[in-house]
Amino acid sequence: MITPKALRRRITFLLAAGLTALGLFAFAAPAAMASPTVIAGSTGWLRLAHLSPNTPAVDVYLYSLGNSNAKVVLKHVSYGTVSPYQTVAAGSYVVAMRAAGAAAGSPPVLSTSIKVVAGHAYTVAGMGPKSGLRLQVLDDTLTTPPGRSLVRVVQASLAQTTVTVTAGSQVLAHSLAFGSVTSYQSVAPGTWKVTVAGQSKSASKTFTLTADTTHTIVVLDDPGNLELVDLTDAAGSSALPAGAAGTGFGGMVSRPGSSPLPWAAAVALGLIMVSLGGLRLRRAGVRGSHSR
Amino acid sequence: MRLGASAVVAAGLLAVGGGSVGLILASQSGYTSPRVAPAVRLPVPLGTVLGTPSPAVVKPVPGPAELTIPAIGVRTSLIRLGLTKTGALQVPPTAAIAGWYTGSPAPGAVGSAVIAGHVDSYAGPGVFYRLRELRPGDRIYVKQQGGTLAVFSVSSVDLYRKSQFPTSRVYGPTPTPELRLITCGGTFDPQLGSYLSNVVVYSVLSG
Repeated sequence: MITPKALRRRITFLLAAGLTALGLFAFAAPAAMASPTVIAGSTGWLRLAHLSPNTPAVDVYLYSLGNSNAKVVLKHVSYGTVSPYQTVAAGSYVVAMRAAGAAAGSPPVLSTSIKVVAGHAYTVAGMGPKSGLRLQVLDDTLTTPPGRSLVRVVQASLAQTTVTVTAGSQVLAHSLAFGSVTSYQSVAPGTWKVTVAGQSKSASKTFTLTADTTHTIVVLDDPGNLELVDLTDAAGSSALPAGAAGTGFGGMVSRPGSSPLPWAAAVALGLIMVSLGGLRLRRAGVRGSHSR
Repeated sequence: MRLGASAVVAAGLLAVGGGSVGLILASQSGYTSPRVAPAVRLPVPLGTVLGTPSPAVVKPVPGPAELTIPAIGVRTSLIRLGLTKTGALQVPPTAAIAGWYTGSPAPGAVGSAVIAGHVDSYAGPGVFYRLRELRPGDRIYVKQQGGTLAVFSVSSVDLYRKSQFPTSRVYGPTPTPELRLITCGGTFDPQLGSYLSNVVVYSVLSG
């Protein structure tokens, strides 16, 4: 027979064990997945172009506003050159042009400021004749109407001061003056014979305009002739998938095992039974010793 | 009287003992994931590296054949994915392989190419299980059909609730060659049988 004292010790031990078990459970429970570091993506794009026929090569500098260290330096950029897009943080920038080889600290020939909005793309182009050279900021369109292609024309030929540009029978630019730019125009995707006709010269080239892409066609002076260059401004998906992606089956998910509640209830009930029974045994023992 | 009380105490002890064992077992069996071997750092694939495309030359870029992400031990061939009848992104039929969405530009061409893979199967880790461990600057290699490598650099890793999936940011057009990797993440809803979030890795072609 267990003595009341031993019983009390036993109860204390079991209570401790029960609480320990509950504690273990509480620690094991919050096994949630850690989420990846989230980095805000607030960037835009910029590209730089030299489209002034009689302006010699230049060095182009890109500064973020208020920072005298250039972010990008393109050396010896000559007429007809267009840089790839640079991904830059949204914010204000300054584009400066210096004569090729001029010291980075020398005063620029030209400069302009530009505000880059996140998710937008820009072309900063040196345009016009040398005597009236200017830096022009063009807003580049990224998104097309579904299944279409968008095309605009930049007229950078000084030899032919106005040009008309066609893709098949569609007119992309009509009597476009030197130094100007059309807005984007929707074109059916496909392979097109693009023709440029100036006052005395003309030229043709075949371009493939894929669906969901935007283009800038540049008319350039090629000594004695006209030249056409097709720049891809952006490309998208042929169809944007609807909603999110169902890329998981749940096999790596932590699952709760059998519910702990019945077990906790059993422990609690057991503790009640032990203490009640123990009390009764103790009283019985006390009474027994009295009667002796 | 004494016998009755002893029986109650004995039954109570049994209940406490059994209950405690049950509690311990329940706490240990629950909330555990299948064991996964640590990531193996794979060697960087070798080959001719695709340069940044010149803006004026629009050369067609061949489709992708293989994806390697050395930092998280991923190497998989790539199947082709389209859209489901409801217009959602098709996903690979097994968790062991990733796929390129053929409606998106080819990886290395201008625009945002999309590759999707499962985070897990019903039983264990999927090809993109460790995608969320990628960090900015980690390299992603896509071997094109023909063997040229398009090398991308991770710019960010984002987690989106599926109900707030930023379709145009993930699938929308871009003027530079970019690559998005998509898998599942966040909380798993056993009722729906699916995760409630998507992990999206943004990367750009590194010249």
